[in-house]
Amino acid sequence: MPTALPLLAALTWSLLPLLWQLLTSLRTPEALVLQGPSAWLQGWTLANYRQVLQGDPPFWRYLFNSCLVGAASTGLTLLLAIPAAYGLQRQRPALRGGISLLLLAAAMFPYVLLFLALLELARALSWGNQLLALALPYAGLSLPLAVLLLRAAFADLPAELEDAARLEGLNLWQRLHRVLLPLLAPAIASTAILVFLFSWNEYPIALTWISRNDLLTLPVAMARIAGSSVYAVPYGAFAAATVLGGLPLLALVLVFQRQIVSGLTQGAVKG
Amino acid sequence: MAILLLLPALALVAGVFLWPLLRYGWLSLQASSVLTGLVPVPNGGANWQRLLADGRFWQDAAQTLRFAGLSLALELLLGLALALLLHRPLPRRGLVRAVVLLPWALPTTVMALGWRWILNDPFGPLNGLLQSLGLPAYGFLSQPATTWLFTVLADVWKTTPFVALLLLAGLQAIPSELEEALRLEGAGPWQRLRRLTLPLLAPYLLLAALFRLAQALGVFDLIQVLTGSGPASSTESLALYAYLNAMRFLDFGYAATLMLGMFAVVLGLSALVLLAQALRRRLAEMAP
Repeated sequence: MPTALPLLAALTWSLLPLLWQLLTSLRTPEALVLQGPSAWLQGWTLANYRQVLQGDPPFWRYLFNSCLVGAASTGLTLLLAIPAAYGLQRQRPALRGGISLLLLAAAMFPYVLLFLALLELARALSWGNQLLALALPYAGLSLPLAVLLLRAAFADLPAELEDAARLEGLNLWQRLHRVLLPLLAPAIASTAILVFLFSWNEYPIALTWISRNDLLTLPVAMARIAGSSVYAVPYGAFAAATVLGGLPLLALVLVFQRQIVSGLTQGAVKG
Repeated sequence: MAILLLLPALALVAGVFLWPLLRYGWLSLQASSVLTGLVPVPNGGANWQRLLADGRFWQDAAQTLRFAGLSLALELLLGLALALLLHRPLPRRGLVRAVVLLPWALPTTVMALGWRWILNDPFGPLNGLLQSLGLPAYGFLSQPATTWLFTVLADVWKTTPFVALLLLAGLQAIPSELEEALRLEGAGPWQRLRRLTLPLLAPYLLLAALFRLAQALGVFDLIQVLTGSGPASSTESLALYAYLNAMRFLDFGYAATLMLGMFAVVLGLSALVLLAQALRRRLAEMAP
């Protein structure tokens, strides 16, 4: 079977809905409801972007919030996951297998059903409307996958390497810092990007923890924009928001495609 | 010693996953709503009796199941096709993978909003297409009988890349010599797929199925933004019903009970998938 046709179909299937958003975002409300081929000649505008960027709060604020939460969650997750993965790899096989299985089950868990108890915690600890506090549940939700991925990477390193470093008199921190972690850089990068994507996209917890308009993360802001006018026809501003909200991800995926793919596939091979 | 390195992470994981389940177990035996001033009061098994008799719970369970079932089937099928495609030598491989991954990487709410426009009646492009073919516009999001199909469409669009990548890992683990040997025996592409690729891919298919099943049964963001559970609650999922009870009706005792009910559904179906897989393997071993 030739490759060109299915390839074209796959690319169209992936891109067409996105391109349509781009197109919609560049048209005036009147142009969007016009019919017929002549409609394409008129009604192009950047007003939708102006409207979204000058909103209150301006759209970049949501992007900034999401970036902040994503960075904090990723940092916290790695900080906990790297030592945990090392520790897990050093356990007896039976215990290691048991813990890995539990982590795998947690990684698959439909975490949306945790939101109520987590919201209670946030209220009890006054963590509502604190962006950085989101990093705690996000790290907790990301850790199972992160530990599994990094554990598999530790397992790939030859055991003699660490033994040699130990004979050199390096302590645990030095062995990790100088010998093991540099070799794990690709696995750490893959893990980091997956955790960042998860935090960037997380919805139910951000929805229930954050209510102040200027602290919303991007997914919640999008849902709120959507809920504000359910039956309004002028989708131009919505589309501009989807394009602006999608662009950082587009950049991320283009740059880190290799890390994302290897992260997901490594998780499958050894998780 | 090494166990100490593991403890902080395990503690946080337990706090996020285990604590809520224990808490729900306790809450589900309490009345805790506006009627009790949001103070938990033990009420025996009243929440559970209510759940068993709650027609909306069972209806939502059925709706969630049909959503998850059809999504899962389509995603495995299309994911396999996409993985087979990506496994071939392609020009600009990195770029192709990035483009294919894009739907999966975008926030669900962002593209749910996008799909709402694409499916808009009558101005969306899909209706534009229908009309240019001389057909009447269709209320994709306003027909209680069919709207759920379009929530499946949006879900399949978003998560097929994820399934494809998992399966791609499986394809890459198959030694190419095996495929070559079968080819020399004169097996066609279809036979090679059935006799070699699918059996070796089985563990990956199982993993993808379990993962996607659990996630699809918990569907929330997509439906809240795309249809708002409508029309006439025909796309309401279990997670949305639990959310409604917690945040709108402020009935925490019953919401906790619903969460556990949903957890039981996820657990039961996952066990069923694992059982079916074990049975299939057993039968395959018994066959001559």
